Amino acid sequence: MATPAFTFTPSTFQKLHPAEFFRRFTTEGVRPDGRLLDAFRPTTVHHGVISTANGSAMVRIGGTTVVCGVKAEVAEPKLDAPDQGYLVPNVELSPMCSSKFRPGPPSEQAQAVSEAINRVLKESKVLDLKDLCIEEGKAVWVLYVDAVCVAYDGNIFDAALAAIMAALKNVRIRKPTYQEGTIKVSGGSTATDENSFTLNLARTPLSATFAIFDTTLTILADPNVTEETISDGQISIALDETGQLCGVTKIGASSCSQSVMRDCVQSAKKRTQQLRDIMNQQ
Amino acid sequence: MSRLDRTRTSAHQLRPFFSSQNLLNRADGSAQFDFVVGPAEVKLRDEKLDKATLEVVVRPLVGLPGIKDKAREQAIRETLEPLVLSGLHPRTGIQIVVQTMKDDGSILATAFNATILALLDAGIPLKSILGAVTCIVDSETNQILLDPTSQELANAKSTHTFVFDNKSSITSNTESKDQEDAVEVATLYSDSTGLFSEEEYFKCAQICYKAVQAVHGFIRTAVQKKLEKEQQQIHS
Repeated sequence: MATPAFTFTPSTFQKLHPAEFFRRFTTEGVRPDGRLLDAFRPTTVHHGVISTANGSAMVRIGGTTVVCGVKAEVAEPKLDAPDQGYLVPNVELSPMCSSKFRPGPPSEQAQAVSEAINRVLKESKVLDLKDLCIEEGKAVWVLYVDAVCVAYDGNIFDAALAAIMAALKNVRIRKPTYQEGTIKVSGGSTATDENSFTLNLARTPLSATFAIFDTTLTILADPNVTEETISDGQISIALDETGQLCGVTKIGASSCSQSVMRDCVQSAKKRTQQLRDIMNQQ
Repeated sequence: MSRLDRTRTSAHQLRPFFSSQNLLNRADGSAQFDFVVGPAEVKLRDEKLDKATLEVVVRPLVGLPGIKDKAREQAIRETLEPLVLSGLHPRTGIQIVVQTMKDDGSILATAFNATILALLDAGIPLKSILGAVTCIVDSETNQILLDPTSQELANAKSTHTFVFDNKSSITSNTESKDQEDAVEVATLYSDSTGLFSEEEYFKCAQICYKAVQAVHGFIRTAVQKKLEKEQQQIHS
């Protein structure tokens, strides 16, 4: 009499033991989607996708798609910086992109990603905010940078930052004219180099994110949503075109040695260069 | 050489710590008040079958909590999750509330240190303690300054916060007492912003690691003193 074998189909096994299912792949040096452990997903960048915005871009990293639109508005400057404009970046993760996000106020993840991008833009001095000044103390340009995720498959930080940088690169703002104390911004005729200006970006930070798995001590590049859910922590490295670091984050999981961080920085350098080539091509 | 902060002469000096009997952690610059509630009952939707659910709430000095505070909540929670022995208290919740009392720079590091002291005070089982330090690279002098004040932060080219636990360090040469020896440090949490080189980043990690030993020492002393006092009260 044969003893019944207790077997599962792969999809059942994945649901019952997601971590173990995943480990079976990583010990062979691959992941369930066929990628190598240090491979990033195919990435595309499209510029100027929203004609009504001052600047826009769409970035796809694997299944994660982020559309970013930049709108310039005239506003009063902040009291402590009367000769500077400001940027208001916002990353939106709504139920539209994934069922794991609930409707309502922004989730903690969306707020944390928005804050992380805000700090990269501000502290690596991507833009000289004085360029956004119209009249000191009275009027400045404020740029609302909205990155909306339309499809979520992990690694929102890389996709959102790339979309925001690509959008900022093609921002075109009409030059305002002064008429008796009021600012007039012309509409109508097409924007040319004479009646509009582009942003002078000091640098273009781009990032690479890695997932940390404690039990197998593996670092995976560009995690998709299933990998993100079962991962223990994340490392994100942002670099500009000169190879200077603009941001390093390691969060979650147990202690990570310096050699692991060094490897991630090297991998990030290659990836951001690849991203830049993709961005400049299209 | 002088720092903007006149109370300290060395670039590598931390501000003095102060902790009251109730283990309120206060550096004379930044002050945090932390309280921990738990293990306690948790809402059904947040309940985890095999672990305790950690919840962190960060309240700023003024105003309503904003995205900065949400980011700090995520940082504290994700860092503490592997440290808390949550398997010992399944289907419960541990709530940590962090309230800023005074903000003079290094606020995230202070929040981390206050949190670990509060967890120890609450008797939550932990795998290890942690210690956090912030450092900056000054934009004018390119010097690495530890535990910056708000004024020093405004002049920073880059800001780095590191959290280390008290277990992992892989010393290349355990015999040597040489301060210059590079220690292979392992970071629990790292957050760096601004413009910096790879070498600056790893150098900051080294310097912060050495400074965090003082934080760990302080935590040990604070817990010891508190236990001694409790013993006295029981036996008197």
